[in-house]
Amino acid sequence: MVVNKVLLSNGAEGLFIKNSRFNTTLVSFNFYLPIDRARVADFALLPFVLTTCSKRYPDFRKLNYKLSKLYGAELTASCEKVGDFQLLKMSISVINDKYTLDNEELTSQAIELLTNLVFEPKTENGGFFASDIEREKRKAIEHIKGEFAEKRIYSKERLISEMYKGLPYGVPKCGRIEDVENITEKSLFGAWEDMLKHSFIRVNVVSDSMPQNLFDTLSERFSSMNRDNITDFSNITPTTHADKVNKIVELESLNQGKLVMGFSCDSYGGDKATADLFVACDIFGGGPYSKLFGNVREKMSLCYYCTARAVRNKGLITVESGIEKENAEKAEKAILEQLSNLQNGILTDSEFESSIMGLTDSLKSYNDSQDALELWYSTRLFDDEIMSPDEFAESLKNVTKETAVKASKGIKLHTVFALLPKEDK
Amino acid sequence: MKREIFESSVGESYVKAVCSSGLTVYVMEKPQFTSSFAIFGTKYGSIDNCFSVNGEKEKCVPDGIAHYLEHKLFESEDGDAFSKFAKTGASANAFTSFDRTCYLFSCSDKFYENLDILLDFVQKPYFTEETVRKEQGIIGQEIKMYDDSPAWRVTFNMLENMYVNHPVKIDIAGTVKSIAKIDHNILYDCYNTFYNPNNMFVCVVGNVDTETVLEMCEKRVSKKQDITIERIFKEEPEAIIKPYVEQKLSVSIPMFCLGFKQRIQSPFRRLKSKVCINLLLEMICGECSPLYERLINEGLINDEFSYEYFNGYNYACVMFSGESSNPKRVSELIKEEIASLRENGLDKKLFSAIKSGVYGDVIRRFNNVNGLCMQLTESAIFDFDMFEEIKLLKTVSCDDVYKRLDIFDYDLSVLSVINPVE
Repeated sequence: MVVNKVLLSNGAEGLFIKNSRFNTTLVSFNFYLPIDRARVADFALLPFVLTTCSKRYPDFRKLNYKLSKLYGAELTASCEKVGDFQLLKMSISVINDKYTLDNEELTSQAIELLTNLVFEPKTENGGFFASDIEREKRKAIEHIKGEFAEKRIYSKERLISEMYKGLPYGVPKCGRIEDVENITEKSLFGAWEDMLKHSFIRVNVVSDSMPQNLFDTLSERFSSMNRDNITDFSNITPTTHADKVNKIVELESLNQGKLVMGFSCDSYGGDKATADLFVACDIFGGGPYSKLFGNVREKMSLCYYCTARAVRNKGLITVESGIEKENAEKAEKAILEQLSNLQNGILTDSEFESSIMGLTDSLKSYNDSQDALELWYSTRLFDDEIMSPDEFAESLKNVTKETAVKASKGIKLHTVFALLPKEDK
Repeated sequence: MKREIFESSVGESYVKAVCSSGLTVYVMEKPQFTSSFAIFGTKYGSIDNCFSVNGEKEKCVPDGIAHYLEHKLFESEDGDAFSKFAKTGASANAFTSFDRTCYLFSCSDKFYENLDILLDFVQKPYFTEETVRKEQGIIGQEIKMYDDSPAWRVTFNMLENMYVNHPVKIDIAGTVKSIAKIDHNILYDCYNTFYNPNNMFVCVVGNVDTETVLEMCEKRVSKKQDITIERIFKEEPEAIIKPYVEQKLSVSIPMFCLGFKQRIQSPFRRLKSKVCINLLLEMICGECSPLYERLINEGLINDEFSYEYFNGYNYACVMFSGESSNPKRVSELIKEEIASLRENGLDKKLFSAIKSGVYGDVIRRFNNVNGLCMQLTESAIFDFDMFEEIKLLKTVSCDDVYKRLDIFDYDLSVLSVINPVE
């Protein structure tokens, strides 16, 4: 696999991730902006409004019809948090021309369609159309409300909002319901203008061959735009350690409780700075060989699932588990005991080697998924040189038991959120 | 070893072989990929709770036993399978559905070592009274987790009210009460019945060599005494239990699942029927359809809306699911649209666009090693060539699809709704 990075203009770059194993070509536009509590909902709604209509395709049925004709080209929109930044993504994936039944040129049509949606929205008098916005606002509000139904997601969101109260990372990625309700035709148009003007832009192409002239055309387009005050990734704000652990308990009408714990870490940042933390977190609660799975779930039967995940760019580790109400305290204690064991170096060669092997194996498999590869590259913002999944896997060879234990010593409990059944059913 | 080679018009191929043990093996080589995926499965799922072996007396076992076995099979006398896979770096898992139990792994390295572990642990059950009892706690928690899942409950509430006798209405993991009746003797009994190689399959996709995989399966899977399993189902009446069911759970927006029970004459559906019905569903409410546009514009559905043709051994129905502030209105509009299509026929231009879209989706599937392996398990269970779908997509006509509108009988529809707790 070869990755070519091209500077398209000030604050805009193109990545061509050459990979010949896929039958499809994937192109994505990624816009990065600092999380701003006041405008997060406007920015989050943008990709969804932009990918449902445009000047040329004024309603989503016409647009979907066109996508079907392009052999089911997949148009996707998303909004994610990458550290303290909001990533607005719009992408299209289309089958390669050689698989069409009549030798049609699909790739160029699909890219033209995506470009048209991003840069030529359906607007009038300096605003989006109210009907388009209202439709997407309703869907966004229902999406936010819908997260409450999935208690695993809800509990984690609650933990993050408590842990980062008043901080950009604590702002929900799509904003709050009241923020979405306040979006207007003009405010969204302003967000679109600012997205083009101030965001850092990365255009990713994952394909066997680079679509002709794509980067040249984009380079011309971006250079002609009046872009300034571009998003800067050089200052990352890590998670600060808590003076006192914050514990929140909520009661709901449920059968099973959820226990979610948030930890702050000394290490944070890009891949280079956090390889040790990556391994330490995996030994703690990654695969089935981890301390949490082997002890808290298997030996002690305290929960059906119990996993740890690291958000390395923020220096954050979360542990999620499903528990019985009466086991909440026992499970919390057992989880902390496993962390303490790791911090005290109670770690077998086999646990360590299993983790390195498991992580290496899964990093190598990134090359087999177009979406995973694209996501990998769109979240690499904090290193001067982007490491490929293979290169990062290779760098894990430098992690030792000692360096992993050392990284684990910087992990400290910050916040605990428990969602427990209201009454015994 | 008896073998067949299947080739597609898009340059892909796979081999199907039957080992002397009776095990059926499917292998698709994808040398350009880094990773590989393997499944060792048995045609044994949650619906197989009554059966007869070699024509003997009918046996009925507690609900949830196939899933219980899945949990226990990872353990062996010399440590659990997870710890063996941990030594190779593979990612292993298992799942039980209505008609199958599958053990699987994916890896980027040491494929044959991993295949060896997989073939070994599935053939070596090891459980004692004590280890079986211990698992009840973990499975009990898993059941409770699903009881709290509105998406899971809305579907099962629909099935419970659609089927009078068919065990597809029973939760895959059983209930806390039913799993309390499971002990190591029943587990061994079911294992010895359903984990016979002539009821099992291995599917492999990825960076592998077909000959080596076949050779390993031939050598490592031991033949057992041939067995004939007869699945026994009480006769299923045509009618449903009741057309509307509601439950209150901790949700913010109501969820719904609208099902239409299909009258069926034989245990399995033909591939052509499946292809046509999937196209028909796209015509009724796919993203290009007038109904989808109306439902979105009237604020009745959101991006969670989905539909599927759900079918297996002796059961088949169409399901429409999603979140809605007014599930009853969604149900009415779907029924109105079906009636209108019956009367006015299908839009040929739209049909052609939808067919292109579905064809592209099929091509896209070849990007995904794991997905392809799951598809081969469908071929193993239903005994069809997975490339047949590509051929069918080129040949099915608008009329073929129109005819499938007869599967919708409004008297056999069930609407299940999850409402918020007040």
